[in-house]
Amino acid sequence: MSRQSKFQIGRRSFLKITAGAAIISGVGLPKKSFAGTDEQLSTLIDLSLCDGCADRKVPACVSACKTINKDKIPQVAQPIPIPWPRKTIEDWSKKREVFKRLTPYNFIYVHKAEVNMAGQKKTVFVPRRCMHCDNPACATICPFSANHKNKNGAVVIDQSICFGGAKCRDVCPWEIPQRQSGVGIYLHILPEYMGNGVMYKCDLCVERLAANKLPGCVEACPREALLIGTRSAIEKMAGSRAGRMNGYIYGKTQNGGTSTLYVSPVPFEEIHKTMTKKPGQPDMKVEVQRRMARTDSMGKAALAAPVLGIAAAGVAGAWNWLSHRKDKTGKEE
Amino acid sequence: MTGKILPEKNLVVRHSALELIEHWAIAISGLVLFLTGMFELPMSKRYYIVNIPGLGWSADYMTSLYIHYAAAIVFTAAAMFHVFYHGLRGEKGLLPRKGDFSESITVIKSLFGFGEEPPMNKYLPEQRLAYAGMAFVILMLIISGLVKTYKNLYAPDMSLTVVLWATWIHNIFFILFFLAFLAHMAAILLRPNWPMVRGIFTGKVRLDYARHRHPLWIDDIEPAQEMPSMVVEDTQAPPPVPEDERS
Repeated sequence: MSRQSKFQIGRRSFLKITAGAAIISGVGLPKKSFAGTDEQLSTLIDLSLCDGCADRKVPACVSACKTINKDKIPQVAQPIPIPWPRKTIEDWSKKREVFKRLTPYNFIYVHKAEVNMAGQKKTVFVPRRCMHCDNPACATICPFSANHKNKNGAVVIDQSICFGGAKCRDVCPWEIPQRQSGVGIYLHILPEYMGNGVMYKCDLCVERLAANKLPGCVEACPREALLIGTRSAIEKMAGSRAGRMNGYIYGKTQNGGTSTLYVSPVPFEEIHKTMTKKPGQPDMKVEVQRRMARTDSMGKAALAAPVLGIAAAGVAGAWNWLSHRKDKTGKEE
Repeated sequence: MTGKILPEKNLVVRHSALELIEHWAIAISGLVLFLTGMFELPMSKRYYIVNIPGLGWSADYMTSLYIHYAAAIVFTAAAMFHVFYHGLRGEKGLLPRKGDFSESITVIKSLFGFGEEPPMNKYLPEQRLAYAGMAFVILMLIISGLVKTYKNLYAPDMSLTVVLWATWIHNIFFILFFLAFLAHMAAILLRPNWPMVRGIFTGKVRLDYARHRHPLWIDDIEPAQEMPSMVVEDTQAPPPVPEDERS
């Protein structure tokens, strides 16, 4: 399929955002689709537009995501092997319908936040899912590289090589990935002693993107509160919308930067206050440092170590040669 | 200086101070890397290692990574120093030679009482082979570790193929490193090798041991020492060996 034809995917939201960005920034519409390319993407979640789909039992974004991913998790082993020595297993296979938190069967949920703003009560709805961080520790320090950041910014877990150790959840500031025990490669190795299932989370619908489709949540949102586009276009749009509503942006700096930008008319400090951090229900602290940053300087020194060793060998070798020469000269005299 | 004979002490210098520093820098940093590498697996909480006094940090992946990087600096720099320093000096005593494999079998058989041990150089043939094997394992760990570090710092979206190769090479050679370490320790358990153990701590081994087991090495260094200023006294009759040091 040619790149020209890929442009055919230009759906309502995509066109809207690119046109919007074009107006704002003065740039033209992209000449190619972002689908299936390495161009870095971002998503925008506009909390001034999201109404939590008050008229539906399950918000449209959640519903679409569930439908798309309903067959993602294979049949769960019965009984699920009990790990040793800590006997924790996480089994959501009989609670697949849960939609008010993240689970291995639910990659997005909508939090209802009732905040006080200047004495007035205001309700905002906050869709929560993986932020697709710029430098995601969940991916970079996965011991099996089962989690990887794609060129387009999507952070994707390969369930065929994930052991479900939940390290990714431990290092994620929002503890997004969720474990389903009793599935995955660990069952074929040492299920009692190594691994404990597979981790699941939003993958930005990479397969749909590759097939020239929009992510399910973006496509399903009836109010176009979720949008996707190129990184620069989304950043410009987020800045512009926040400016117009005298609002706030979340996700641009948190955890060192992410590919998900929330725009809100309500300060995120206030939204955060309405959230109690629980398993599968992340909070929204404004100060989120990239924890791995404290290892960066040592990592840079490690990268320089070969040069350090070679330089030291050169100095020691030269010193040795000079001493030897001096001894030799001394003896000759 | 290696190869210096100290007849009055019945010793010969097997390793220089610099070589001892290289060995222990690689050994200690290697063990730290092994331990912190293990703690990069999600095992500390699961196996209650985190509850062991002094190992409370083991469940903190960032602390383990920080220490892992710190040890990697020493490990990588020492390995590079070793290769380039001895390479520049043309020292090839530890490199495998033709016939080392068959000679190793003869030596190993003799360790278990089958046949005679052939006269040997400074290093045993199986030491040279083990050195080459360990050097290869270390090289692969360093290369794959550097790729992973670069990815962590600058390129989280590095090609997945490269990332997977680096990861799995690092994981597989991590196991091989541990097996090589066990083999290294097992060699120490063999009684004929005991006199060499003091060498890696003090740099010196007993002269009578060296004459008996490494005659080719002693033959190499003795003419060099027979300088007027360094008269070797009665090398044919070394001082009596204390009973407890006899092997």
